[in-house]
Amino acid sequence: MADVPKTDDISRLGLGAQISVLFAIGGLLVSVLLGGTTLVLTRRQLLETRGIAAAAMAVSNATRLSNQLTPESSIEDLPTIVDSLTRIGGSQRIIRVGDDWLVAPEMDRADLPPPLVARLGQRKPGQMLAMVRGEPRFVVGIPLTAFDADYYAISDLSEVERTLDDLSYVLLGTGAIAVTLAALLGSWAASRMLRPLRRVREAAEAIAGGRLDTRLGAQADPDLDRLSDSFNEMARALESRIQRDARFASDVSHELRSPLTTLMAGVGVLESRREELSPRSIIALNLLVADLERFNRLVNDLLEISGFDAGVAALDLTEVGIARFLEVTAANAGAVALRMPDDAHRVVVQADKRRLARIMSNLLDNAGRYGGGATAITLEIDDTLRISVEDDGAGIPVGERSAVFERFFRGSAGGRRTDDGGTGLGLSLVVEDLRLHDGRVWVEDRPDGRRGARFVLQLPLPEGGA
Amino acid sequence: MGQHSPMSTRILTVEDDQRIRTAVRLALEEEGWDVEETASGEEALEAFSRKPADVVLIDIMLPGIDGFEVCRSIRRLGDVPIVMVTARSDSHDVVAGLEAGADDYLRKPFDPKELSARIRALLRRIRPDEGRPVRIQIDGLEILPDAGVVCYAGEDVHLTRTEFRLLVELATHPDRVLSREDLLERVWGYDYFGDGRLVDVHVRRLRMKIEPDAANPRFVVTVRGMGYKLQT
Repeated sequence: MADVPKTDDISRLGLGAQISVLFAIGGLLVSVLLGGTTLVLTRRQLLETRGIAAAAMAVSNATRLSNQLTPESSIEDLPTIVDSLTRIGGSQRIIRVGDDWLVAPEMDRADLPPPLVARLGQRKPGQMLAMVRGEPRFVVGIPLTAFDADYYAISDLSEVERTLDDLSYVLLGTGAIAVTLAALLGSWAASRMLRPLRRVREAAEAIAGGRLDTRLGAQADPDLDRLSDSFNEMARALESRIQRDARFASDVSHELRSPLTTLMAGVGVLESRREELSPRSIIALNLLVADLERFNRLVNDLLEISGFDAGVAALDLTEVGIARFLEVTAANAGAVALRMPDDAHRVVVQADKRRLARIMSNLLDNAGRYGGGATAITLEIDDTLRISVEDDGAGIPVGERSAVFERFFRGSAGGRRTDDGGTGLGLSLVVEDLRLHDGRVWVEDRPDGRRGARFVLQLPLPEGGA
Repeated sequence: MGQHSPMSTRILTVEDDQRIRTAVRLALEEEGWDVEETASGEEALEAFSRKPADVVLIDIMLPGIDGFEVCRSIRRLGDVPIVMVTARSDSHDVVAGLEAGADDYLRKPFDPKELSARIRALLRRIRPDEGRPVRIQIDGLEILPDAGVVCYAGEDVHLTRTEFRLLVELATHPDRVLSREDLLERVWGYDYFGDGRLVDVHVRRLRMKIEPDAANPRFVVTVRGMGYKLQT
């Protein structure tokens, strides 16, 4: 058996689940990529806009401050001037005049980023994004060139951060929806994709179930069409091989019929001249007769079973009055009680009388060989027709109750010997004969609780009962 | 239809397998029959036209002309009982053999005693029946059981021995339904488990000969679920 090796964990999942997972992963990757890019670009865009606005504001404020300052202005004059300047929400300013600093309520000159202070030390304006008091802020520094003063504006960016937070929540939400949709799409696509595979599976199951002529129809997709061609090719090969095997068994059995005919006729001549034979020859003749009879049964059973295997077994349906049939059967079987409901004589079934007789003779034969002889035949009629054969032998262990119908089964229980004279095919023929009649057979305990086996065969009842 | 004592009864066998042919001849001779064996259909027809036998045993699978054709040819020459031997177990061979004119069939391998029993049953005279009228007349159909004569509309109808016995059994109990099993027992000497197709095919053959319209039988009618009856 060549099994395809398992490669990774995901292949342990079903193909459908794998496809769903792959779709979901794809959805996730696309969502992350799109969301990340959106966040980065938006952030850059927002900061840029904010930066430009803050810089423009700072320049205009620095100009106004510069206009209102006089060389005599001291640090004490500044607050009144500063209050008149335009403010953007959350922005703060720090102003240096000479060695004095006018600081914001929550900011100190130490909070200013040193590279910017150094740049203004060279009397050049600058702007930068810096972490101030644990938060990203935009700091603009403008030297007031007419004086020995600098103007710093520090804008709060928490609003931008909040906007970005909101945006990332939205992106997360849509990402989750996208992943779910992708997974659903994946499972839909998988079920669509797997539909042909399901048909293949159903066809394979049908073949395994014995319908060897099952074939797949043509497929629209070229790849699937190749698959279905290969499958059909396999099914054809299998069918012809099984038929060849069955035909071989059937041919062998046929070929055995001619020598068997000669043997039976020859032994028949010897038997009618029994009195002319010596005692030793009579013993030999008896052995010959007994095994010829068994050989004959075996060939017949093999021929029948190969007919079933080759699928050529057919019913010869006739009307069979079931009560009369069982009366004759029970009478031929000797000391067997027959129990039938009063209205049994009205029931006529369409059945193959030869096969029905063989079913009964195989069950009775089985009871005779392994159950000490059948004791009762019971007919029950409700919505089906059930005929049971009981014996009071050792019964059949629960574990062997289905195996007992297999070909050449030799049970573990006592009483089943290899030289019992049976062909080993009787009960398997019962199963096949009943299947042909849409019936079935099983074995159970005797309903009266006594020791012994009860074989029950069930046949469908024709519409209307008779 | 004289009484057959085995010694005077000649059986013609057709079988291509030399060993089977010899063994079957020995076995039949052991039962007291006089046997002439042939190895092919051509040989059998030649032997039969030279000297008709009392019973013919034909193997269906023959080289040259097959058993069905031999059967039809012999049937044209007379109403001698014919037993077919089939190797195949399928229904087709059995029905085709009976329709070709065989009176009974056996499957290979067969017990030679069973073969003798079948031959004896086919050679039997009609069962004596005290209550049976000497002459039965129904709507243009006239049967004289003891004379072995059947006429329809004043003309002789030629029936084989088996067809005649079947008709007489039905005519002895007019309007009473006889099941296939009853007829198998009375005409062929089979028990309940005999092959009902023997009856069906013979009824069909009988209808072709005595019914004005075989598709809508006037005399031998089928009673569904029960069997056949001769309708007055």
